[in-house]
Parts: sequence; C-alpha cells; structure tokens
Amino acid sequence: MKILVPAKRVPDTDQKIEVCEDHSGIETGHLPFVVNPFDAIALEEAIRIREDRVDAEIVAVSVGDLEYEEQLRTALAMGADRAIRVDCIESLDPWNTACVLKALVEQESPDLVLMGKQAVDGDCNQTGQFLAAMLDWPQATFASRIKCLEDKLLVDRETDAGIETVELPFPAVITVDLRLNEPRYASLPGIMKAKKKEIAEISMGDLGVQNAEKMHTVSVRSAKTARKRVMVSSSCELAEKLRESLKST
Amino acid sequence: MNILVYLEHDGSEVKKASLSALSFAQALTHGPDDSVRFLLIGENLDKVASQAAKYAPTLVLEAMELAHPIAERYALVIADAVESQQADMLVAASTSQAKDIISRSAALLGGAMASDVVAHARVGEELQLDRPIYAGAVIATVVLKGSPQIITVQASAYEASPPSDSTFAVTPLSPNLDNVPQRVQIIDVETKRSSRPDVTEADVVVSGGRALRTSEDFEQLVGGLADALHGATGSSRALVDGGITPNELQVGQTGKIIAPEVYVALGISGAVQHLAGMKNSKTVIAINNDSEAPIFEEADYGLVGDVYAIVPDLIEQLNSG
Amino acid sequence: MERGLLSAAQVDPVLTREVFGNVSKTSQLIFYLLAAAAVLCFAIGVYRRVRLWQLGAKPAGKSASCKALGRKLGDILFQRRMINRSKINLAHRLLFVGFGILFIGTVLIAIEHVLADLLGREPTDPLFHKGLYFALYEVTLDLFGLAMIVGCCVFMARRWKADSSIDRYPADWVVLWAFLLIGITGYVTEGLRIIQAQTPLPGWSFVGYGIASLFQALDMSQSAATEVHIAAWWFHAVLALAFIAAFPYTRLMHSIAGVLNLMHDAENLGEMQLVTLEELEETGRIGVSAIDHFDRSRLIQLDACVSCGRCEDACPAFEAGKPLSPRTVVQDLRTHLNVVGPGILATTKDAKDPSDGDSVDIHGDTISAETLWSCTTCGACADICPLGVTPLGMITDMRRHLVGEGQLRGAPATSLQKTQRSGNPWGLPANDRFAWAADIEVPTVKDNPEFEYLYWVGCAAAYDRRIQNVARSVVKLLRYADVSFAVLGAEEKCTGESARRMGDEFLFQELAAANIDTFKKYRVRKIVAHCPHCVNSFLQDYPQLGGNYEVIHHSQLLDLLVETGRLPVSTADKQGKVVYHDPCYLARANEVTEAPRRVIAAAHFEKDESRLTELPRNRRHTSCCGGGGGRMWFDDSPGNRSGNGRIDEILNSCAETVAVSCPFCMVMVSDGVAASTSQESVQVRDVAEILVDSIDLDSLPGSSSS
Repeated sequence: MKILVPAKRVPDTDQKIEVCEDHSGIETGHLPFVVNPFDAIALEEAIRIREDRVDAEIVAVSVGDLEYEEQLRTALAMGADRAIRVDCIESLDPWNTACVLKALVEQESPDLVLMGKQAVDGDCNQTGQFLAAMLDWPQATFASRIKCLEDKLLVDRETDAGIETVELPFPAVITVDLRLNEPRYASLPGIMKAKKKEIAEISMGDLGVQNAEKMHTVSVRSAKTARKRVMVSSSCELAEKLRESLKST
Repeated sequence: MNILVYLEHDGSEVKKASLSALSFAQALTHGPDDSVRFLLIGENLDKVASQAAKYAPTLVLEAMELAHPIAERYALVIADAVESQQADMLVAASTSQAKDIISRSAALLGGAMASDVVAHARVGEELQLDRPIYAGAVIATVVLKGSPQIITVQASAYEASPPSDSTFAVTPLSPNLDNVPQRVQIIDVETKRSSRPDVTEADVVVSGGRALRTSEDFEQLVGGLADALHGATGSSRALVDGGITPNELQVGQTGKIIAPEVYVALGISGAVQHLAGMKNSKTVIAINNDSEAPIFEEADYGLVGDVYAIVPDLIEQLNSG
Repeated sequence: MERGLLSAAQVDPVLTREVFGNVSKTSQLIFYLLAAAAVLCFAIGVYRRVRLWQLGAKPAGKSASCKALGRKLGDILFQRRMINRSKINLAHRLLFVGFGILFIGTVLIAIEHVLADLLGREPTDPLFHKGLYFALYEVTLDLFGLAMIVGCCVFMARRWKADSSIDRYPADWVVLWAFLLIGITGYVTEGLRIIQAQTPLPGWSFVGYGIASLFQALDMSQSAATEVHIAAWWFHAVLALAFIAAFPYTRLMHSIAGVLNLMHDAENLGEMQLVTLEELEETGRIGVSAIDHFDRSRLIQLDACVSCGRCEDACPAFEAGKPLSPRTVVQDLRTHLNVVGPGILATTKDAKDPSDGDSVDIHGDTISAETLWSCTTCGACADICPLGVTPLGMITDMRRHLVGEGQLRGAPATSLQKTQRSGNPWGLPANDRFAWAADIEVPTVKDNPEFEYLYWVGCAAAYDRRIQNVARSVVKLLRYADVSFAVLGAEEKCTGESARRMGDEFLFQELAAANIDTFKKYRVRKIVAHCPHCVNSFLQDYPQLGGNYEVIHHSQLLDLLVETGRLPVSTADKQGKVVYHDPCYLARANEVTEAPRRVIAAAHFEKDESRLTELPRNRRHTSCCGGGGGRMWFDDSPGNRSGNGRIDEILNSCAETVAVSCPFCMVMVSDGVAASTSQESVQVRDVAEILVDSIDLDSLPGSSSS
C-alpha cells in the first residue's frame, strides 16, 4: 500500500502577518515557515496507518522551490519514507497544484492520497476535491477519523450537520480536519536522521504540467485592526456592539 | 449573465445560507438577459421546491441515487447542469457541504473557483472578489480566469435574499445518471447531540472564566448567551481545573486554539495561556469585574461589572432585539 | 576468673590470645580454602556487575579537586548524605560503622596470622596482636559489634513493622539475620574462647567476658567450652564467609556501587549532560532508548540504589498520584539490566563495533512515556538520595530519545514547536516581545550600552500580563536604586531551559547559541533575572556552550540594594502573615534561600526574618509547584497536578500572602489556589512586588539609570 501526502510550505500563522507596502503579498522576511498544519495531521495519520499495516509506504510531495525541502525534511523526520519535490518557483493556485498532484499520482500510483483540508495561507479548501475529480477517485473530505481496512476505508467526516460516516474503496482522496489527530513533533535529531532519506526532484515539464492560472490575486490588504479597546458602560450598549460585530462578519 | 445557485436543504427546508448566496448572485445581475436560478438536488423535493420558488426560478434534479449529498455523485450532475444550462457562474454558500461538493464540481468545470467570498466589485469587465486568507488576517482580492466561474460566498457577508410576492417557475431536469459512480456510501450520520456548534468551528464563541462559580451558573450564563448568539461555549483553564466545565471546552495554549468572528469573554482575566488560544478572534468582547484585568487590553469592547448581573440582562436584550 | 579489668598502664606486654586457638591445622587449612572460595565468589559477583556497568560508555570525566574528594570521602565515612529519617539514619550509621570496624579488625587478624606464620613464629607469640594493642582491639571490636547488632535490630524492627517506604525483599531478612548471627556468634565464640583459652584480662572483651561469665555461671567446664567453642567458631566462620561470598549478589552491593558513585563527579543539581551534534552524527542517536545507552555512572547508580524510597517520598509527581516513582524507575531499569545485560554482553563480544550489539528498547514495557513525562525535574529525588543516585538524570536521558523520535504529542509538543518558531512557548509574535514596556521607561541595551546588569526579562514577563507586573516592579526598583541596567527588548529569546529539560537538547542549543551571540554583541557580563529557570540555565547550561556570565536572581540583587541602603524600605510594620515558597531551581539547584527571605522581611517585618512563616517543606527541601521540566505545557487534568500537595501546604499555613520568586510558581500557585475548594484565600506575589510596595516610589530620581 502506498500513501501520497502532499505537504505545503506555509508561514507560521502564529506570527503577525503583515502585508507588503505594494499590496502584492505578505512580508515573509521575518516569518518562520512550517508544514501546513493540516498536512502535518494528514502525514501523522499516514504514519499511524503504517504502524498498523507494515507494508505501507509514505511518500511526501511538495510543489515549490528549493526552500520547500525544509518542509519535506520535516515530513521525512516525522516518518515519511521518501519525498518528491516538484520544482516550481511560482506559487500555484489550487487548480494547478491539483494538476501537478494528478500527474504525480499517475506516476506513483498510490492507493491513497491523504492531505490537509486546506492550507492555512490561502484557505481555499479546494485542492483535494479538485484532485479527486481530476482522477475520478472517490473522496472523503474533513476526516476526523479514518479506519483503513483491507479493501475499503471508513471515514468520519465533520459536516455542518454532524459526524457522517462514509465507506469508500481504494484508491481515494481523503482530506483531513483538525481533530483527526495530534501530529508528532519533529525535533532536530529526527530531521538530521532524515537526511539519509531521499528527496527526489522533478520539474513541472517532466510531469507535463504547465501553470495556467485560474485564480489571479490582484492585491492583498490587511484585515486586522488593532483591538479597539472601547469600554462601554451598560449592557444595553454592549448588546448593541454585539449585534454590530455579528452583522459585520 | 446566467447564474445557477446551488440550493442547500435538509429535505424539508431550504438552508438560509443559500439565500445569501442568492442575494450575491442577484447583485451581479441586472439586465433582461441575465438570469439567476436555483439548482435543487435530491429526492422527494416537492416541499423544498415550492419553498425555493418563492425566491427564484428553480431547476430540480431528482433521483433515488441523489438522496444524499455525496460529492462524487452531486458534483457530476451539477457540472452536467451547469454545462447543459450554459451557465456562466455557479454560486453556493460556503458550507461544509458546498466545500465538499461544489469544489469537486468546479474541477469538472475547469477550476476557476473562488471560495469564501466576502465582497465583490466590478472593475471594468472584471469581477473582483474579496476573500479572507491567513485565517482572516488578510483579505485577498482575486479575479477568476475562465468560464464558468464557481464562487462560494460566506453567508454572513450577504443578507439573505427576501422572498418574492410571486412564485417562480419550478423546472424539473432529468439528471443523466449513467456515469454517476456509487463508490461512496454513507453508513451513518450522527447528528450533534448538543444544539451548540463545536468551539473550534463556531463563528461565535462565548467563554466563561473564574467568575463563574458552578456548572449551573456556567450553563445559564455562558450557555444562555451562546444560545442567544447561536454560538459555541468555551472555558478558561480555571473552570476546567475546578471541574466546572469539561476539558474539551478549554480555550487556550493547552486547550483549543480558535479564531471565531466574535469571542465573548465572561469573567476571564486573560492569562497569557488563555490569550494564546483566542488572540486571532476577529472581535473580542469582554466582561469582567476587575477593570485592570488584562483581557480588556485584548478586547474591542469591554464592560466592567459582575457577569451575574450583566449577562442575564444582555441575553434578554439580544433575544428581544 | 580472678583477673578483672585493669587499667591500660598495667597491661602485661604479653597479653594476647592465640589466633586460631583451639582450631587444628587441618581446620585452618579448610578455613583458608573456604575463605579463598568465598573471596572468589565475591570477586566473580563484583566482576559480573562491573562487566554490566561497562556496557555504558565512560562518562565524560571532570577532574575533581582534592578538596572535593575530601568532602566526598567525608560524606561517605560520616554518612552525611543521609537525612530526613533520623532513626533509620542512626541505625544505618551504627550498622555501617560496626560492620566496617569488625571487617577491618578481621582483616588485621588475618594479616597477623599470615605474617606470623610466614615468619615462623609460634601461635602463642603474635607479631603485633598483643599488649596494649590487643587490649584496645578487643574493647573496640566488642563495642562496634554491639553497634552493628543494635543497628541491625532497628532495621529488623522496621522491616517487621513495615512503616516506611523502603522496598522489602525476602533476601533482606537473610542479610539482616546474617549480620545479627555473625555478631552474636562472634560474641559467643569469644566468650567460649575466654573460658577455653583462659585469655588473660578478659574484661577488655567486655561482651565476650559477660558471655563467658554467663556460661561459667551455668557451670560450663573448660573442656566443655573447648568442644562448644570449635563448633561455634565454625558456625561463625562459615557464616561470615558465606556473607562475603553472597555480598555482591544482595543489596549489600550498594556499598560498593554507592561509594564508586559518590566518589565519581556526577552532574550538579540543575546541571545536564551536553550532547553535541558531532556525537549525534557519530552514534546516530540522542538520548537513551536501550540500557547500554546510559553512561557507566548511571549503570553504577542502578546498583547503588537500595530502593529506600526517600526519592519517592520527596517526589511531587508521586505525591500527586502520577505514574512516576523515581525509585521504581531506577529499580525497573536495574531489573531490565539484569535481564538483558548478559545478552548484550554476549553479542557485543562477537561484534567488532560495540554499537552492533542487539539492544532492547527500554521505552514502553520497562519505562512508560507517561512516567517520563510526569517528572517536573525538581531535583528532589537526586538531592535526597544518600547514595547520589540521580533518577532525574536518567529520566531526562530517556526523554531526549522520546523527543528525538517524535514521540511527544499534543500541547507540550506544540510548545516546543512554538518556542522554535517564535522564541517563546506560547508562539506569540516575536516582535511583540518588548510590548510589555510600551508605557514605561525601560532602558534597552541600545539606550544604555554601558549598562552594568543585563536585566533578563524572560518569556513569561514579556507575554503574560500577570508576570509583566513582576518585571515592572523590578524595573521600578532598579531605576529607583539607580542601578545601571538594560534589557534586550525584542532581541531576547527563550533561554531554552524548558526545552532542554523536556529533552529537546538541540532546540535548547539553538536558542542558547542565539542568546550567547546577542550577549556577545552587547558585551554582557552580568545578568539579573527574576526567573530561577533562566538563572539556572545561565549558570549551569550556558557555560557548556561557552557562555560564562555573572548571574544573579533578582532577589539577590534586591537584597543587596536593601542591605546597602540603596532601596530605603519604609519602616512601617505591615500586618499579615507571609509565607515564602522556595522555587526548586533557586533553592535546591542553586542554594539561594536567604536573599528572598531577607527581602520579604525588609518589606514586611522590619528585617526580622523570624516573623516570616515557613512552610513544612522549605529551603532546599522545598516541594515543586508542578510547573518545572516542561510540565507547565502539559494539559493536566484537574486534581491530578503535581504541586497540589504544595498548594495544600500553602493554604494550611493560613497566610494572607504567599511570596514566590519564580514565574512558573506564580502561575501554578495562583491556579492551584484558585482551583482549590478550600475556604482559605491567599494572595500570590513576587518578592519584587512585595518590596516595591514598601518603597516610596514618588521620590524616584528621574531617569538617571539610562
């Protein structure tokens, strides 16, 4: 059994995200970068599946420039068996990312693609579904529990209505939600050990994918305002402020 | 412009969020050639369809195989409908169902999709869409390239479209089910025991701290306010420690780290471990009897006073307003 | 028996007794053969332990000074490390000294006998075992024999009553009975010998003489005594030889391993062993996952442990019902060593590379992760152990493996991740680090490059609003006293103390290296900090990476400033009871106990320290608040937090204020007091906050500090 886990490099969203002066993007100079937390959960789940099924192989994949190796190293340190970086200097939208992943799936023929439900930078929540559609594979999004049986998967999905349990065959795409697990922490010794593992590099051209932008970012602006720190004097006034806040959401 | 709005429902009622999606679509259409229609999918839809017809013309796709919203089936028939109706745009409210299904449809329709849209503007020929990124810290303005465009909108960003006096047409379509796969089966649906949303998912979270003295008080004040705001309840570590609230409600470094639209802190002083769990909330409202409490530094609106006195009053005002 | 006890001056120079009197040459030969067998058995036993110890790598040795060696020797001879259990300590001292003297006496006899034999002297003509020496020898041995028997009886009584936390094995009874019987049969043999050999001046052997008198009172004839004597002698001799032979196979081995351990320079309290990247690359592992990964000194410690349970009694995690007993950790590892050690030895003998040996994982079955993570690294176990065993060191060694293998999950793992990314365990933005001082005047290293003291603020004061008040108080006091100081502002990063104690050695080294660079940049020489964990890290961790500074805790500096009159404390006597809770890393690891007390006394009690209320466990015997060793970042379920016992102590003291001098203690004690159902309420305040209240700050002299 082979599990493909895409891992995106994203800024640590604990930090203050600040927009560049020209509004073309965010300032990244001071930001530490991490494996997209949802992807880390997907990887953790893949590792747990392998702990039950020794034959499983976990391949971590990333689409990005050389800096993405840092996140792939972390993925290897956490327990991925090998990693592939598709070299790409541009930042891809979900459609193009899914195109690259589709080509990788065709090359690697995994039984399962496990990935985060969204990346915490773009927050699109599309790539997994796009990939499933492109491959015409069954999908289970927002997984909060995954049971990997011999010939099928049982997945608990977190929906607005409650927990929905679905059954689906291999091969499949599963996107994971926050409550699925708590990923392990890859410390430096683990990362150093992971140096022995291979990170293969492929170009977009090798995969036969060309970036054709579907969603173009015109500009970005900060949504954060400093806390207003307005003190009100009555519950009446507070109720008013509450209503306003709810409305503006 | 020819827009289809995916209408979400629970078998008997239309989802209110879809009415916000409708109002977004209506805002884009002005000319006589423009059309906005609901796309309604499921089984035994008479009741929902007649309700939908009060708001917009409704296309209905009914089949036994479509009884449950399973992405691999729905996505295919939705994409078919968009193509057969020659729609320029598919719109839906950004719900967990739409994220699952509409995103999959989008890939079948070329992938020009923007999710969670909160505002839009026509700039020349372009439709510019605002959507939050980085957990809402940043707003990106995007344009979609290609047609059809697929857009999900945050329901809270658009007022629900009001019903019309007249009734619109309901048009049944016959779905092409030949290629619809049946690989995914729903085994079980466990509807939420609590009527309240989960603290990690809710748009509004009301949290209680040390000022709450018993579980009953917590339920009455924090729970009561949460219900009035259709929000979730949360708790500081002090209450979990005191056995007043269960572990899973704890917001903070060692509990849940959340970023709701509105966070209401009742009797929480604001220790750093708590702030680490809620600092990304969009609007923070705090009530505390200590005017020096650090939580006020992290609040947009603050009120100094006893939560036992203020909160019942607040609940009453919210419920009456 | 007409010759009684005479004064030493009158001792006849030929006063002696025949060594091996009444024992035939054949019997002597048999005895020596048996003795040789016993010694061989002893040697084999010790050798087998030594071989097992050698599974561990040689620890990085530090050259100890003669003074230190002298102190350690004193610790052993006077059993100075035994504290807390006075009765049993006395019993142990009696047994130790009694056995020791008897052993030396027996060796002296053997030397006498062998030498005299070699020189061809008659059995009745000893070399030195005569005259005044003999008289003193007899009285000394009789006296210390009694000491041994009394000590032994106390031990037996305790074992019988089972009223302490010491582990009890059946073998212990055998050992104690052996001690007792060897003592008693020694006296009986002596008494019989006095009758049989008509030893002159028998009063010197006062116990033996008493027994002889008793036998004579029972009408025992000299010939009867001769018969019985030889039997008693054999009984005594065989018992003693068996005892020697069995020595390394029983708990008695602790005396050998314990002495070795105490003489070896183990790490100080609060100190940890450094692991370098080179070592990591060489061995491919960090920390301990198999018994042979421990270094030799730790393996010796496993044999030194007698399972007395003092560490368990002192352990706050055990007290709180957590799955950790330091004693059990050590004993489980010892059992594991005994089970797998010989196997590892056998495989490594064949393999060329010693690391090829097949070692067995100790994590899981032997030592559970929950056990390891329960430790607050408070150091109470290592501090209390009479034999210098450091369960704490073993625990952190094993934690390093768990972290290295990515087996730490949840909130504590998140805190490490966040420390790595943001330089603080909450993951709050690094550039907000100096925001706490936005509204007060605090000189930075850039404002005041000629500062004397660097005031190290630390993560808690930088981000936690409660602790910020401590930093504000310190700043006010330093400015008032016109101390030349500066802070690093946003350039400060977590010291890495917590990360290191959680086992993330390289995260610690990364942070420490960054801070050391910053210190170099601003030519930092003296550091004052209000966090004992940071203080300890600067004092004990940073020098290992080349960072040597003069470091003091804020309570020490404040004490000095009060003492020298630079902080004039208003003399108004304050009402209310104050207790002081000693932080482990200040009081135990760095022995700072009086400075904070003097500061509180100055602020509250007109410098009368005796008016400060003491908790039952105070100074270096303090009990942990539960926040150390990374426990701060664990999601402890209520009621099960290490430190709850301490909170009860604080509440039971009925004090109005509990003074703390550590941000971790501040948080844990405040939370604990608030969560307690007790009716008592107590204010938790830092010593700096207490002091600042008793100083008239309005007379603050400008901003002369910058």
